Amino acid sequence: MSNVVLLDSVAHRKLRVHAQAGARFGDNQRFVGVVVSEFPMLALHYPILFSKDAETGKFYCGAMLGFDAGENLFLEDQAAQAAYRPLNLQRGPFATAGSDLAVDLDHPRVAAAGDQELFTPAGEPSKHLQAIMGVMRELQPGLERTRIFIDTLLGLKLIEPIAISARFDDGSKRELAGLYTIGQDELQGLSDAVALDLFRRGYLQLIYLMRNSLHHLSLLVQRKNRTFLPMQPSPVAGSP
Amino acid sequence: MTQRIQSIVIVGGGTAGWLTAGIIAARHQGRMRAGFSVTLVESPTVPIIGVGEGTWPTLRSTLHKMGVSETDFFRHCNAAFKQGAKFARWTTGADDDAYYHPLMLPQGFTQLNLAPHWLTGQSGRSFCDTVCPQGQLCDDGLAPKLITTPEYQAVANYSYHLDAGKFASFLTQHCVAKLGVRHVLADVTRVNQSPQGDIVSLDTQQAGQIPGDLFVDCSGFSALLLGKTLGVPFRDCSDVLFCDRALALQVPYATPDAPIASHTISTAQANGWIWDIGLPTRRGTGHVYSSRHTTDDEAHDTLMRYLGPQHAGLTPRKITFRAGHRATFWKNNCVAVGIAAGFLEPLESSAIVLVELSAKLIAEQLPANREVMDIVATRFNDVTHYRWGRIIDFLKLHYALSRRTDSAFWTDNVDPATMSDRLKNLMHLWKYQSPWFFDEFDRLEEVFPAASYQYVLYGMGFRTEVQPEDNAGTAQLASRLINENLVATRQLRSQLPTNRKLLKGIEEHGLQPI
Repeated sequence: MSNVVLLDSVAHRKLRVHAQAGARFGDNQRFVGVVVSEFPMLALHYPILFSKDAETGKFYCGAMLGFDAGENLFLEDQAAQAAYRPLNLQRGPFATAGSDLAVDLDHPRVAAAGDQELFTPAGEPSKHLQAIMGVMRELQPGLERTRIFIDTLLGLKLIEPIAISARFDDGSKRELAGLYTIGQDELQGLSDAVALDLFRRGYLQLIYLMRNSLHHLSLLVQRKNRTFLPMQPSPVAGSP
Repeated sequence: MTQRIQSIVIVGGGTAGWLTAGIIAARHQGRMRAGFSVTLVESPTVPIIGVGEGTWPTLRSTLHKMGVSETDFFRHCNAAFKQGAKFARWTTGADDDAYYHPLMLPQGFTQLNLAPHWLTGQSGRSFCDTVCPQGQLCDDGLAPKLITTPEYQAVANYSYHLDAGKFASFLTQHCVAKLGVRHVLADVTRVNQSPQGDIVSLDTQQAGQIPGDLFVDCSGFSALLLGKTLGVPFRDCSDVLFCDRALALQVPYATPDAPIASHTISTAQANGWIWDIGLPTRRGTGHVYSSRHTTDDEAHDTLMRYLGPQHAGLTPRKITFRAGHRATFWKNNCVAVGIAAGFLEPLESSAIVLVELSAKLIAEQLPANREVMDIVATRFNDVTHYRWGRIIDFLKLHYALSRRTDSAFWTDNVDPATMSDRLKNLMHLWKYQSPWFFDEFDRLEEVFPAASYQYVLYGMGFRTEVQPEDNAGTAQLASRLINENLVATRQLRSQLPTNRKLLKGIEEHGLQPI
């Protein structure tokens, strides 16, 4: 359950949160909603795809982090800052409510033992809270820009379903449905005027970042296969 | 000299007229720039009949091909999902007497006929529940898809319930704005014919003379062109289907969030039956009855008793009709579609599907010139006669299988003299073999497929004698399919939202095109 309230520098002066990546903090998600401004960073690690919101049926963009429910195969890399951490994971227990910041007091990140304070003893926003506000400043208008990007692609009939089937070293198979990408043939079929318009709006770059990010699908399979390997003994200092 | 068919003139602005205009215009869009035109002449004074609120899944592909957004259709036509029909009190008249005629085919229908296996089985489940999930989805008040399912795609097969008046004006908008149909609001005062009898033009009161190459009569009961002008007689079939009156009444829901049935409910009465159709904002109900067996007052009381005292203040609208159809449907350069071609009681929602099939046949077979038109006309008449015959037989089957004896209406209905020879032969044959593929009704575009006959026959307790050794070879496949149906039923019941919830979601968020 959640218990979302507006953040208040008086009532929440002593509130602390866990900031690092971790499964127990709700980062164990296989598909995370993202915004277009993140595409260049996301495209280094993750397949970027479209999916539909279960409540509204509307398309959104997301980064694929795993195959099974609750599986984020990048948790360690995200914790070690070796892989880009999507804004929706960075924002932790926070959300925006209009122009205000809200916090979910029942979120597992909110804890007395948390490593970050939200306010200085003087009641000023802490460094961490300032960083969160930065995340929100990118995320909120980003959602609107992403929506317009998606509506444009839908209007041009560029979005098409992608059937992802993966076979793993343990012999198991996964068939993932409900994911979409940009159709190569439809893209080739665009008129010069439309292609130029997409280029001027910066959409052509986003489109190719999404298309190219599909290469990460096979890397994601390999990443999952590594989880089946027996634990490697860690190298001991001084050994030959 | 061959006269090219370039100008199509449709008379009548109801559901039949606009669907026909849309289907022809969409199919021949490419010719529009080369002088091809579709004109619809609608009387500004004659109201449309507009009681048809039930449809078949064909309407999904028809609307899709016309380029209609399903979201717009839902929002503008007060449309809701329909997953089939529930027939209550048709067999014995008892309180617990009910069966479904769903829109999904039985599990594995193309591989195996499950009916003989169900007939010898001991599961105690109804035929419908044994072979398909849809009856239970309807019982649960569930929608046939998810908010994430794209437009026109189904999880469970579906059609629509809709507001026929709103549907006609929605189609008007679409046909004029998107498909280039010319809309003329005018009353026809005179039909001008050539010496050979072909219709040359229409004189109108408000818009002068309208010439055309092919005229489509969608003028409803008046059958202005095919009946009045070309003199094609009406062929009455009230000796088979007795109902000739209807009292229609729209009733509000008790509360704004009351469940919406995702199926038509048809409840048999002493001298007819009552339809009950759930739209998002109201229910459409009505009592269809035989004036030879009851009076209007008695029928009124029957309907009001069904609806309950909370609707006592409402006044139903009376509709009088004759069951039957024109002796021929395409004569000279004129073809009738919709009520102008014929009318039957709305028992299996056959009206709109027949409009779609007729209009599609006209659009696909549109004669290139006047010279070959008679060949196409003969073909159209053969197919359309076949369809009316099959629909009449199929409707009659619902009555012929009844064991009700509570009124002359029901006992008269099982008199073999009121059934076609064809239907009597089929009912005889079905005692020893169940309808499936290779039966006689397996044309490409059959109004009611063999599966529909199975659902009605076995829903109404008909028994086909099965030799157990006939089933031996396919027993394993049958039990696998029946098991698959159980699994699918469980899964769908846990996944699908309620009908009301999804309709609300479509109103708020829409469905995605892909």
